[in-house]
Amino acid sequence: MSAEYTCLVVEDSPMMRQLLVFALSRVKNLRVTEADDGVDGLRKLAAGRFDIILTDINMPIMDGLKLVKRVRSDPMHKDTPVIIITTEGAAEDRKRAIELGANAYITKPIQAPQVIAKVKELLKIVP
Amino acid sequence: MADRKTGGGQQPDAKGEASADIKTDASAKMERDSFVHTFFKKGAEFTDELLRENDRLRKRLFDLESENAALRTHLASDEAIRELLRKIEYLEREKEQLLSHVREAERNSSHLFTRYSEVEEELSNLAHLYVASYQLHSTLHLREVLRHLKELLTQLVGSRAHAFYLKDGTELVPIASDGIELSRLPRLAIHAGSRKEEDRGSRDRTGDLIERVFMTGVAHIEEGELSSAPRDQPAACVPMRIDDAVVGVIVIYSLLDQKEQFLPVDYALFKMLGAHAATALMGALLFANSNGRFPGLEAIDAITRNVGDDLK
Repeated sequence: MSAEYTCLVVEDSPMMRQLLVFALSRVKNLRVTEADDGVDGLRKLAAGRFDIILTDINMPIMDGLKLVKRVRSDPMHKDTPVIIITTEGAAEDRKRAIELGANAYITKPIQAPQVIAKVKELLKIVP
Repeated sequence: MADRKTGGGQQPDAKGEASADIKTDASAKMERDSFVHTFFKKGAEFTDELLRENDRLRKRLFDLESENAALRTHLASDEAIRELLRKIEYLEREKEQLLSHVREAERNSSHLFTRYSEVEEELSNLAHLYVASYQLHSTLHLREVLRHLKELLTQLVGSRAHAFYLKDGTELVPIASDGIELSRLPRLAIHAGSRKEEDRGSRDRTGDLIERVFMTGVAHIEEGELSSAPRDQPAACVPMRIDDAVVGVIVIYSLLDQKEQFLPVDYALFKMLGAHAATALMGALLFANSNGRFPGLEAIDAITRNVGDDLK
């Protein structure tokens, strides 16, 4: 079975990454690629095309907000939907992420159904 | 004829008689003409009347035929209406049956959707537990075990500040923390019996709670809205066990603002941590004490022999 959609998960915590991959495996025809941090994420983005990106904010080397900025200036991925995942629940952080070009914002602790629903919504996958 | 017989016998009055006859004839002719005229006139009138009557009857016949046709049409129309009404009644029944099927299907669908959501949530919870357990036991290095424990509480439970206490002699010692300085956390003396009032007064509610959880082995987890929970005591205290012995306590002081309350998955995670956190920590401590050397086969043989002796 060939994947219809591709997803990049950028998260420095192996635990969170594993959990996100588990959650995303529930979305049919979605192939997930993992990246350890923002720089690794950019490397993976340069190597291929992705339909959606999920990224943590707080990461070493390059944080999620910088990654979103870089993604939006990349002609290949400027329109790719981005979901920000963070521990911060404050409205200002949400506003800042959206202003930088993120499409959605999920706060930790994450719930798999919430992640699945958001990814399906942005990929326009009918439930 | 009678007039001619009479005329032959009476000569002198013949002129007068003839004149009278002429008059009579003329009168008779007139009468006859009048009669004929009247007769024909009447005949013509009668014929006209007949023709008119005929026309009237034709018209009436035409009207009747039209009326008949209209009645036939009406009758046919009535029949069609009756047929349509029968059809409507049938369709109404069918519609009612279909609606009943739809309602039944909706009930089933709703039930299945609820069940699907439950299964999805169960899967999600199991994934949380699997990931936590996998990460916790994926290393024997103490630093990594502690990092995974902290991450587990932050990322999966939503903890903002927490600490791990282990029993050391008659004290509970804080060995690691996150979101709160380790140096600020006191060692807690464990009192086997009832404590004196003056001792009780010198300790805060948090210390009492941690000690109680350690002594009883019963976890303290705030139920309901966390925003309305007491601020001067931890949101959760979970005893860490090895076999049946309580060897330490996990203390969660505060949670992320968006964490409104503990969920079923949190209770499952606490249960898992109670059973696995201490073994992971002890395993890492033993590994550190052995300078990172894995036991050889001789150790396994010795253990197997001892187990065999125990069974005799």
